Amino acid sequence: MSVSSNGHVRTVRLPDGVDLHARPAGKLVRAAAAYDASVTLIAGERRADAKSILQVLALGATGGSDVVLETSGADASEALDVISGLLASLA
Amino acid sequence: MDDTRSPGIVLVSHSAAIAEGLAAMAREVAGDGVTIVPAGGGPEGTLGTDGGRVAGALVEADSGAGVVVLADIGSAILSIRAVLADGMADGVDAVLADAPLVEGAIAAAVTAATGGDLDAVRSAAEEAWDVRKL
Repeated sequence: MSVSSNGHVRTVRLPDGVDLHARPAGKLVRAAAAYDASVTLIAGERRADAKSILQVLALGATGGSDVVLETSGADASEALDVISGLLASLA
Repeated sequence: MDDTRSPGIVLVSHSAAIAEGLAAMAREVAGDGVTIVPAGGGPEGTLGTDGGRVAGALVEADSGAGVVVLADIGSAILSIRAVLADGMADGVDAVLADAPLVEGAIAAAVTAATGGDLDAVRSAAEEAWDVRKL
């Protein structure tokens, strides 16, 4: 679903049992850093810049929960596809 | 400087166990490909800092892209400055990050893993002051 000319948003469910901690969080940040687009992750009331490991760790997103991914910028569409795929397949 | 290489990271603590444990934690988050060298404890395994150990860690961590150094408290900073001022790690482009040790090390390691240069890695560590835990 597109929210503006260059902004994108998608809800992704984290795999059961895989909290967004240590290694999975590092994977996410490394993937997000490859894009020029801004990438934001929302879990409950909290928002994190997906390129900031400390913000992502502070989300406290737990396995099996839904998180919302927002991207905007030049390569936002590709970033949304790749990063939502990564989130859904974290192990 | 070789831009294809990542800056190294040196962790200086008064406790060898803290430096080594934190290095393991940062490697777990950042993945392989980042050089993180612990330099904890004083001579002969006491609590403290050891300039020779810090200098050795700086040389070990440097692959040509420089080294970001993080420290725990007080005199660790003085020890690192003395090492740098005395030229004990001559030829290593080392910068001190003004950051909380644990959070700074994690942020620095992940940023180095994403291809950040020396300034980016130091900045990422220092931004740790601005991220609330609660």
